[in-house]
Amino acid sequence: MSPFGGGDFAPKAMVMKAMVYVAFGLLFARLFYLQVMRGDFYRQLSENNYTRSIVLRSPRGMILDRKGAVLCRNRISFSLVLDSSRQGNLEDTLSAMQRILGLCMTKEQVKAAQTRSAVPSLAVIARDVPTSWVEKVEARQSEMPLLTIEMEARREYPYGALLGHSLGYVGLISPEESEKLHIPITDPFIEVGKSGVERAANAMLMGKNGRRTAQVNSVGREVDNPNLRLPGVGIQEEPIPGKTVQLTLDVKLQAILEAAFGEESGSALFMNPATGEILAWVSMPEFDPNLFCGTISPTAWKTLSEDPRHPLLNRPIQGAYPPGSSFKPFVGLVGLEEGKLTPSTIYNCPGSWTFGGNVFHCWAKGGHGAVNLLTAIQNSCNVFFYKAANDIGIERIAKWGASFGLGKPTGVDIPGEGSGILPSPEWKALRHLGPWYPGETLPVGIGQGYLTVTPMQLLSFYSTLAEGGIRVKPHMVAGPTEILEKTPISESSIEIIKEGLWRVVNGGGTGKACHIDGLDVCAKTGTAQVIVGSAGKNTYSIEKEFRDHAWFAGFAPRKEPQVAFVIMVEHGGHGGDIAAKIAKAGLEYLFYGKEPSPEGQPAQAPAAPRRQDQSGTRDQARLDQGQGAGHAG
Amino acid sequence: MRGKLQRTWKIMDWPGLFLAAALIAFGVVIVKAATAGTRMAALGERQLFYGVSALSLLLLVLFISYEVWIEYSAIFYGICVLLLIIMPVVGHSVAGSKSWLSLGGYSLQPSEVAKVLAALACAGYIKDLENRTMEKRDFAILFGIIGLPMILTALQPDFGTATTFLPMFAAVFFVSGLELSKLAKWAALGLASVAILFAIGWFTFFRPYQKERVLTFLDPSLDPKGAGYQVMQAKIAVGSGQFTGKGLYSGTQNRLNFLPAPYTDFVFGVVCEETGFIGAGLLLALYMALLLRVVSAQELAKDPEGRFLAASAFFMLLYHILINTGMVVGLLPTTGIPLPFLSYGGSALFSMTMMVALALNVRMRRYSV
Repeated sequence: MSPFGGGDFAPKAMVMKAMVYVAFGLLFARLFYLQVMRGDFYRQLSENNYTRSIVLRSPRGMILDRKGAVLCRNRISFSLVLDSSRQGNLEDTLSAMQRILGLCMTKEQVKAAQTRSAVPSLAVIARDVPTSWVEKVEARQSEMPLLTIEMEARREYPYGALLGHSLGYVGLISPEESEKLHIPITDPFIEVGKSGVERAANAMLMGKNGRRTAQVNSVGREVDNPNLRLPGVGIQEEPIPGKTVQLTLDVKLQAILEAAFGEESGSALFMNPATGEILAWVSMPEFDPNLFCGTISPTAWKTLSEDPRHPLLNRPIQGAYPPGSSFKPFVGLVGLEEGKLTPSTIYNCPGSWTFGGNVFHCWAKGGHGAVNLLTAIQNSCNVFFYKAANDIGIERIAKWGASFGLGKPTGVDIPGEGSGILPSPEWKALRHLGPWYPGETLPVGIGQGYLTVTPMQLLSFYSTLAEGGIRVKPHMVAGPTEILEKTPISESSIEIIKEGLWRVVNGGGTGKACHIDGLDVCAKTGTAQVIVGSAGKNTYSIEKEFRDHAWFAGFAPRKEPQVAFVIMVEHGGHGGDIAAKIAKAGLEYLFYGKEPSPEGQPAQAPAAPRRQDQSGTRDQARLDQGQGAGHAG
Repeated sequence: MRGKLQRTWKIMDWPGLFLAAALIAFGVVIVKAATAGTRMAALGERQLFYGVSALSLLLLVLFISYEVWIEYSAIFYGICVLLLIIMPVVGHSVAGSKSWLSLGGYSLQPSEVAKVLAALACAGYIKDLENRTMEKRDFAILFGIIGLPMILTALQPDFGTATTFLPMFAAVFFVSGLELSKLAKWAALGLASVAILFAIGWFTFFRPYQKERVLTFLDPSLDPKGAGYQVMQAKIAVGSGQFTGKGLYSGTQNRLNFLPAPYTDFVFGVVCEETGFIGAGLLLALYMALLLRVVSAQELAKDPEGRFLAASAFFMLLYHILINTGMVVGLLPTTGIPLPFLSYGGSALFSMTMMVALALNVRMRRYSV
């Protein structure tokens, strides 16, 4: 060993130099690799860092009635979203949320919200929050780095419960709907129509979201630094707003009808029989579609779903009831066309008819005596139609029923339509209910037995009758007429049935309550038994829930009918009472512009739009015209 | 005085002075770029003040012979060690360690100063050896001189700064007169003991964040939002600079706060991002040239103590540069070792300037007078 600092130092200096060359060689190689060889890759990563794709939400289109009244529009609404793809601490954000907003949330709740969310990194915390929250979050964003404010266009139905079943409502898209409608879930706020027109016209109403690339810093706050003009920042895709959809609905008629219903449950449909344009779609009780905007509160849902009156049931298409006597004109028509009846056919009605050992009653205990087709329709004689149905046979009734659209959906554009039951021996066999007994044809003749129809189906029948056999597709979204079926029916048969229906209202028949001076209303009452054996009893003497259903269906005027209608009042007793009165109110408005006097009956005035404040209208108009609603955070 | 100035002018190590001054200037520019537009913008101005001070310090140290500096070092070393002892009482806390001393608006890190003073104190002891062969006792004393402030620093606790004393041990070995073969043995032994210490530390005194740093260095995907985030963002900053860089003040990783500690530990990330491969290469070339200049100072030193001072400067520079840049480019785990001349801060800049100045001083005064 040499003394300190002594010895031959040259080799050691060589080692030192070697250390420098090796170490710096490595560093240069690493820099070359990262910056030159993989530079493009890391440049892209840095761009991903500072750019954020922001969804420009396109508002749904407005919905108007046939006269242009706004039935549905949008308003601006703010939602709180936890974006876990941002840089920041979840615990800090949650504790700051509690401190600043008084919003208490656990990590588990956030996880659950993320699982529910369509976009996994985004957990929707609260929707439609007050603007004071928006200000607080904006001001103290740094304390809540993961929390963002999202702006969306919220549906608003100014007529509220008046149009619940016709308009339907929207909700967040489900994975199934995403697949079916080919709408990729790129945003947790994509809403689609869940029922009613919102669903029927979803493709038209829905716009297409746009996209904008913004420049953000590491805590996700958008920065606009004039010194940093970066590539890839700016608008890339303009949102396409949804189209405005016009309906054939007349909101005033709707209001008059619903007011006439009062507290009763049931359906009312008014339609142009030539075009299929639906003028009124009443399903009582209605629900307020505003409740479903965004997320329905659990209490509101419970109230609605547990209501014994079933307000969520869309009765015109989902309620299936025996049509009762309102079916009789159809049996008469089939009898005429099949040669089983003539205008001069006369049956005697002694009040009942014994067939195959069973007694079939007429509603008139003393009987109607000798009746022909016209008086049988006029007075709604059961015995006449028992005998007629027996002569015609169930197969012919089923065949003609199918031509008139019974036993299958009418094809109305509102989704969720039921089929009712058009019974036949084949139908019975398919259901394994045994062979068809001739005695089972008799109740079908008076619209009872296995037979059930939806109000929409009965409307379709009366509309087809009014048009002499031409069945059109009913629709609520304005559009061209679509003829579904043309059944050849002789002019004389139609005229006989029409005469019978005219007499029901105008000849002192069961529907005289709907007589309107100067208007030839053709209609038929119907009283459908709810419990067996109530026939012949005074229906008003029994408990309401066991009372008969009341029907009143027809068209007006007799020549060149402009409107076909069906009124169905659940447990409404005789069809000639409340159902006929409701129809009358609607017809008087349609043909004479007559509105029920508001005095004493304030509920009958057409419901006014809920929000009439002028301050909101400008924003409203802007949204409705489809300005993109986007990110506000 | 005038004659002395003239003499210094004559023997001035112009390339060395240029390299050191260029690095200090580079640092002032980069710290300014790294802080511009942020709440820390004032630090850019302050670094300019530090840079000018460091340049003055450089000239002052060069002006006075290293032999003089060695002569007075013992007293200052003693004062500094005392200061380190009372630091837990008078120091103020930064990130959990009491390593800073407040001096009227400015903060001083005594442990940084202690490095220079320990090197000078060691040089003084080596001078007193008067060319005799090193004995075990001499090694022990030299290690004690270095180890005392190092342990006190570690107790603050500031492990990062404590490890910056380690290069001086290497310097002692390198200059001690041991043959290369023995040096290799000692180096192997040193590495082995570091490994053992690491293993013991892992199961005893390492803190969770320290273990996390090592783990995420080995696999950044373990914690992409936490500790691994820094590693990843630094790599993105370096790589995205590409060949020519994004331009000064235009680094998105830096300006939009993706790069952690952009003006201190990760300042090299700003260099790479904003000036690209060209700028980072230039910086590395400056470091390399300075290191080779310091190696030549060792070769040419006229006495053992001078040779030791230059060796200390060499190992210290190399250690800081490699540990720091290695961390930024993702070759080494995250540590709090600043980059010489570039990281913001006065204390580290001054101590590194003094070390380099002493080495250049040794080269300048290589001829016995």
